[in-house]
Amino acid sequence: MPIGPRPKRAVFLGFGWGVTEKTWLPDAMVTGADYTLPPGLAPLARHQRDFTVVQNLTNKFANEAHWGSTFWLTGANRYAEPGQSFHNSVSVDQVIAGRLGTETRFASIQLSSPDGVANGHGPGLSMAWDPRGKPMAGLETPVLAYHRMFSDETMPLERRQAMLAQQRSVLDAVLTDARQVQRGLNKTDCDKLDEYFQGVRDIETRLAKDEQWLGVPKPKTSLAEPKPGLAGRDEIELMYDLIVAALATDTTRVITYRQPVVSLLASLGVKIAAHDMTHYTSDERLAASQRRDLAQSELLAGLLDKLKATKEPDGSSLLDHTVLAFGSNIRTVHYLDNCPTLLAGGGANLKLGHHVVLRHDTPLCNAWLTILHGLGIQADRHGDSTGIVAGLRA
Amino acid sequence: MKRLCLAAMILLSCRPAQAADAPSVRLDEAQRAFFADFCIECHGRETQEGKLRLDNIAFEIQTVEQADRWQKILNALNSGEMPPDDSAQPDRTRKTELLDTLSQTLARARKVIGDQGGLITLRRLNQREYKNTIRALLGVEIDVRDLPADGGIGTFDTVGASLFMSSDQIEQYLAIARRALDEHFHRTRAREPRSLSAREEAEVIGNKRMNSLYERTKQMHDNYVRWTTAVDEAAQRPENVAKIDQLKLDAQKLSGASASPRAAPLLYYHLWHQIAGAPSPEEFGFHDSQAALFEELQYRLHYTYYADYQQLPGRDRGAWLLFYQAYRETYVSAGESWPAGRYKLRLRVAANDAAPPFRRFIEVGQRGDDPSDFTVFSAHQVTGTLEQPQMIELSVDVGTRGKREFAVREKRPNSRKAEINIFADEVDRTGHGPVPAVWIDWFEIEGPQPEPYAASVSLIASTHDRRGAREVIERFARRAFRGATPSAEYLDRLVGLFETRRALGESFEDALKEPLSVVLASPSFLYLAEPSTAAGQRRLSSFELASRLSYLLWSGPPDNELLALAASDALHSPGVLAAQVDRMIADDRSREFASGFMHQWLGMDRLEFFQFDYRMHRQFDDSTKAAAREEVYRTVSYLLRENQSLTRLLKSDFVVVNAVLADYYGLDGVRGDEFRKVALPPGSPRGGLLGMAAILAMGSNGQYTSPVERGEWVLRKLLNDPPPPAPPNVPQLSRLDGKMLSVRERLKAHQEEPQCASCHRKIDPIGFGLENFDASGKWRTEDIYQLNPKTSKTWPVDAAASFYHGPSFANYFEFRDIIESNADAFAHCFTEALIEYALGRPYGFLDDELAANIIHRARANGFAMREFIHALVSSEAFCSK
Repeated sequence: MPIGPRPKRAVFLGFGWGVTEKTWLPDAMVTGADYTLPPGLAPLARHQRDFTVVQNLTNKFANEAHWGSTFWLTGANRYAEPGQSFHNSVSVDQVIAGRLGTETRFASIQLSSPDGVANGHGPGLSMAWDPRGKPMAGLETPVLAYHRMFSDETMPLERRQAMLAQQRSVLDAVLTDARQVQRGLNKTDCDKLDEYFQGVRDIETRLAKDEQWLGVPKPKTSLAEPKPGLAGRDEIELMYDLIVAALATDTTRVITYRQPVVSLLASLGVKIAAHDMTHYTSDERLAASQRRDLAQSELLAGLLDKLKATKEPDGSSLLDHTVLAFGSNIRTVHYLDNCPTLLAGGGANLKLGHHVVLRHDTPLCNAWLTILHGLGIQADRHGDSTGIVAGLRA
Repeated sequence: MKRLCLAAMILLSCRPAQAADAPSVRLDEAQRAFFADFCIECHGRETQEGKLRLDNIAFEIQTVEQADRWQKILNALNSGEMPPDDSAQPDRTRKTELLDTLSQTLARARKVIGDQGGLITLRRLNQREYKNTIRALLGVEIDVRDLPADGGIGTFDTVGASLFMSSDQIEQYLAIARRALDEHFHRTRAREPRSLSAREEAEVIGNKRMNSLYERTKQMHDNYVRWTTAVDEAAQRPENVAKIDQLKLDAQKLSGASASPRAAPLLYYHLWHQIAGAPSPEEFGFHDSQAALFEELQYRLHYTYYADYQQLPGRDRGAWLLFYQAYRETYVSAGESWPAGRYKLRLRVAANDAAPPFRRFIEVGQRGDDPSDFTVFSAHQVTGTLEQPQMIELSVDVGTRGKREFAVREKRPNSRKAEINIFADEVDRTGHGPVPAVWIDWFEIEGPQPEPYAASVSLIASTHDRRGAREVIERFARRAFRGATPSAEYLDRLVGLFETRRALGESFEDALKEPLSVVLASPSFLYLAEPSTAAGQRRLSSFELASRLSYLLWSGPPDNELLALAASDALHSPGVLAAQVDRMIADDRSREFASGFMHQWLGMDRLEFFQFDYRMHRQFDDSTKAAAREEVYRTVSYLLRENQSLTRLLKSDFVVVNAVLADYYGLDGVRGDEFRKVALPPGSPRGGLLGMAAILAMGSNGQYTSPVERGEWVLRKLLNDPPPPAPPNVPQLSRLDGKMLSVRERLKAHQEEPQCASCHRKIDPIGFGLENFDASGKWRTEDIYQLNPKTSKTWPVDAAASFYHGPSFANYFEFRDIIESNADAFAHCFTEALIEYALGRPYGFLDDELAANIIHRARANGFAMREFIHALVSSEAFCSK
């Protein structure tokens, strides 16, 4: 049987609190393929030809100096809605999921970690925001993620069919009550209650998918069930393994991960509070910040190793069909311009192995739009984008 | 009588300001000159670089677009991008003033543009409320950690617009409800009185382990001495003498960076095989030389510790808990077959006089694999003696799922590393390990006890058929919906779910669980729905008012009394309403208000943002931190209950503490675990929020104080003068990096750059006023700065400073008096937050009048705490949708 074109995948990894600017960003004067990796990216040296570092990408509406992730994938203006003190819009991963997510058991998977504020991510439950700009919940531990994607169904098929029917009856019941509540409400309240209706619709979609997948056992992965209580470095590493397993088994094609920083520091033996570390005014803080960078780069290098080592049926590697973005809306300290951005993988037809320095304040959403186009999604715009970044295309 | 009149007056004066226009926000005209002098050459009539024209720009900020344009201008000034380096630069004062005015104006404009016009958005129960509501309905405790976090955009968890719903959340509600119902039925079934108990005698577990460790360590050392003596003897042989010196040098190389100084002298024996005639370690009972060295190191580290233990008194009847490993905890378990329910834990304990008072406390909880996995339920002071031990008793919950083992240990920092280092420090200092502080005779569990939380609705059916099921489902739904009537169609569907389950062969009770858990995931239960299709405000129904009241003061559902008053439509009567507020505040459930409101208002989640350095702040362990947090809540509960003045939070001659905190604050004569009012000695820095450990610790990073955090907090929470949010892209000061400077010297740099000075000239001096408190809120007169492990410097604390454009103070006490004299500002902060929390929406400009009325009434009563609540609850805003 001929092997058809391999599906494309997208992965977005966000870390709060940014990076150590002077040792993470390459020298802006040396662009192209012959640039020197700075110390903070040194652990990625073996993959240098497979990723591109992009400078001068900015979310122009970002004003919150401690929100590293809230608007990273959306480019929204917090204040866009008069009469509201907070507004957000769809994140790029969800735009992708709308297109790439139809053929898999899960349209997208959101991996997350608790305490977004302490971890420099800002408001939100994961990196993902749904098409109406509402926060999407994330799986906050490897154990939860593992069970969602790989736990075996022990229930016999007929019983599961009966269960699905029963679950539909449950939804019918809550909808009956929801409609009664809805009757007397004003517009704002109706909009709010609409989240509930949307939630029920999402469960229905999932049930329909479950039905479609009823005879299909959850994929086998060689990954063992994670031990509870892992934190920091080990936790991130395991989440990365779960990402590889999820993509390899085609459980989903779109994954975001809101990475922990506080627990990463603790696991590195760093005693300095995460926010203080970003203001690296002392040697001790600077050292902590750089250790964080190194750890994050080492972990990413490990993830790229595994994505390369995982082979597709046609002999190509998983990384060949994946686009991966690694970054934050915070550059360093309180700087929100020139967001640290590393793009890897062959999934979106990007120019790899380069150091690209764009015009100052190029919309970050232009990079996301470029990725959308590279994945074959011909969106007109995303967030505050003004066009694609030609220099990022292969 | 007086209160009634006032309430009536406020109702009159507080008609909704429907036609009120948004206040105009406008940048000070005086700043036009700045733009004329430095900007319009490029951004004027002739040229408009970046399409920006500043000569005729509107100073009024009314729209999102105008605000965004000003934000861009502010950002360009803050980042130093504008004015460009090659053009004329404003002097520092002018730039500082402009940045100050512009950032404040913009923050105000954002608030006005984002104002919701008094609109209260439909809200769902937040996690706290959901948990309390399930407890009230079913009498069971649930774990809500599986639910997605609530909101979190800097608002209260009662603000509807910031509380979201998703498919994940609905599924979690169903799953949690199912577990809660399982637990409820299990407990109802297990109701027959029974007494089950288990007791562990500490000397049985403890002494056995300590004796065997002592013997083994001694034995291994004997073996080690015999082996190394034999090796040394062999080394003396003529054929070896020549190479011994070289071996000793080689051994030093083995040590490398990894070996501890304690291990270094032992390493030479690793090379025993190079010494002709030396015996192997196997002959002396060691697996290899590695094992031999390890055992000897254990001996050198721990032998004295174990030997000292052998000398302790009272070991025939009990055992001493150790700070360090070996016998850290003792434990007792509820049997696997015991029914779920409330159980009593009892333990008989005594303290060691020779241990410092702060160590004479125990923690009760559940242990994990590591000391850092220990989940602390509560901390207790130990005051008993070996002659007269003391009994400690507490209640715990044993669930159908989850751990059944309970443990007790000395109160301590929750980390294995801390344990090791504190032990090693003590050995280095005294040659002995930390002296045991707590002796325990036995530890027992007994129960189940009568349930403390009765379910508020019975799920027992009169007949086990369809009719009986419908009866239970309807009764439950009515109660769960807090007065709203479930529709017949809804009930039909629920009964249908029951019947399907029944047809699948489930028992009557099990088949009921499905429809009942659906009730707990239905909108009428999850949302505080207040229909309002017509334009304008309407009066709440009595049931809606009952819910607003109970979720405000209890973060839980209305009880029978409130529901009865709602049913008879009596709740809107001002006298009845006021009496209910008093009753509800007197009820223990009002602690939910004190903790939920204060925790969020004061931003106390910051306490969890970092670990406290256990070497610098040994006493500030998790139990102390928990007590410090509790002090804030208990103080507010006390002030509410006693109707004392809000200003006691600014300065007070008493504190509300338990033994843990009294010891921490150095207050004598406070014994026991309950919080109570304690009079302060004259001259005490405690009393009021500024002297509370929790508040001070929030203004730190776990090691050092942060005058900036503290100053900003005081401006925001006490002085009603919030600084604008930290601006992005301000160039960081780096001139002082790595220099040995005091906090004051370091922060002086903030005054050099206008971008910093525009806010920090207000913030920093306030922080200086609190410098007598270290990072964990202990009083100090000296400050130390540790540049690196070898270099540190000490300064006397200087808490003298001046408020920006305000009075000076010579020390903390004068500083506190000045804060106290600004009671009106504090009352305003409190009232704004209260309105936001109670109404579930951001404070808007339409609320100024309501706030003024509340403060007016409270001020007339010396800012008595309950007056704020009464004034708010009786306001039209609270009673209307």
